[in-house]
Amino acid sequence: MEANNNFSKLAQTDKVKSYHEVLGFIDPELTTFLFKLPSNIVEKIEEIRLRNGKPLMISLGSKDYFVLKNGSLATKPNNCININSKHIAKTFQLISNHSIYSVEEELKNGFVTVKGGHRIGVTGKAIYGTSGFETIREISSLNLRIAKEIIGVSNNIMKYIIKKPNTIYNTLLVSPPQCGKTTLLRDIIRNISNGLADFDFYGLKVGVVDERSELGGTFRGCPQNDIGARTDIIDSCHKHEGIMILLRSMSPNVIATDEIGDEKDIKAIHEAIKAGVKIISTVHGDGINDILSKPRLKHVISERVFERIILIDNTRGVGTIQDIVDGVNLKSIKG
Amino acid sequence: MFLIKLFACLVVILTSSGLGFSYSRLYDKRLNNIIIFQYCIQILETEVVYAANPLPDALNEVYNKGNKKVSYVFSEICKYLLNNKKSDVYDGFLHIVSELKESLCFNKQDIEIILSFGRSLGISNRIDQEKYFKVIQMQLKGQQKEAEEEKAKSGKMYKSLGVLIGFGIVLALY
Repeated sequence: MEANNNFSKLAQTDKVKSYHEVLGFIDPELTTFLFKLPSNIVEKIEEIRLRNGKPLMISLGSKDYFVLKNGSLATKPNNCININSKHIAKTFQLISNHSIYSVEEELKNGFVTVKGGHRIGVTGKAIYGTSGFETIREISSLNLRIAKEIIGVSNNIMKYIIKKPNTIYNTLLVSPPQCGKTTLLRDIIRNISNGLADFDFYGLKVGVVDERSELGGTFRGCPQNDIGARTDIIDSCHKHEGIMILLRSMSPNVIATDEIGDEKDIKAIHEAIKAGVKIISTVHGDGINDILSKPRLKHVISERVFERIILIDNTRGVGTIQDIVDGVNLKSIKG
Repeated sequence: MFLIKLFACLVVILTSSGLGFSYSRLYDKRLNNIIIFQYCIQILETEVVYAANPLPDALNEVYNKGNKKVSYVFSEICKYLLNNKKSDVYDGFLHIVSELKESLCFNKQDIEIILSFGRSLGISNRIDQEKYFKVIQMQLKGQQKEAEEEKAKSGKMYKSLGVLIGFGIVLALY
């Protein structure tokens, strides 16, 4: 299976472009150092971390590194760049576009999505009000995740998802964290929505419940990622509520959502299936046996709700398709 | 000779009156601009408190929807923010101080109120922002009242002074 090769080959220049986009939201005093990093490193950066009173760090692969003043990386914090409260304040000012009030709803979820679909995690002092958790003040850490859309990464597996004459199998992507399932799901949505001429597949109306704004990376009502021409997206909404809203308002052929697991999510999925809508979703897990050990998900697997189960890991790089399983008889169909 | 003297007298009177009227017009200008500025602040409040529009966009909307005679200063703040990443909103307001003083004829107190507002714009949630808007509206209302009184008192005075000084100069010379 070639998905992991696709992850590494596709759009190096887009990755560098995404990195520079994110630097636009960081205190200029810090970006002078971050701009010095070589492009072969920049392409692989997944996160930039600012922690008050701690060294500047980046994550690539499954490792993290300290950024040195000369633009190189180190595994030990010597001669590195220390973050102070002014850096945090200035960076947050740029992230919020000088308008904290405009991101206060997003802050309740602990993150802000900026132009380009990049998600910035925020922690600090939690402030509670009469209606519960209200906002975060005295920000202490910022985690800038660089959005990485990879177009075409699902092309090789669409033949397992498409069901003739013009529909899809209910599909579940199973993977441990940080193995590329969201990137893969996003591309699958795009392919389902746009259609595939090679398979005589016309394209279907897809409704996406994007609870954490990772699939569409919606910024001011506009998805920053390509999720297809026939896709309607409900952003920052709880999955079970979003599924019901889409069923009522958008008449989708397919509903897509990331990371189901909650009882309410599973109930909503059943409602969608009863309405004749196909489902594509993901779940955290390390193989079929791991899923079967989780009570709620075991129930979903045993009911044969999902006709296709795609197992992903990073044994041969991020996005390795370990196996594709028929959800009815749990036998491998990967050719 | 007589005609020349008469012409010269007219020039002196008209010039002096003109200066007096023009100085008095500054009071008119200040009052009108304070009123228009309040409308602009109302537009900004709608954009911030109700639409939660990020500040650069909100400032641009004020420029588009407000009276351009005054609202252009909001566009200047927006451009300053977009072109100066190291600066903050207060710096943007500082950038327009000379416009507030020379073009809009605002006095020191008016400018201080506006700068104080600039320090608090965008730094908190909508509920807090609404409070800051109420404060500045109240302060500007006070400044408007003071400007009306100044116009009534000093505006009239400078008009009269201009004419009287003109006649005074003519009498002194001739």
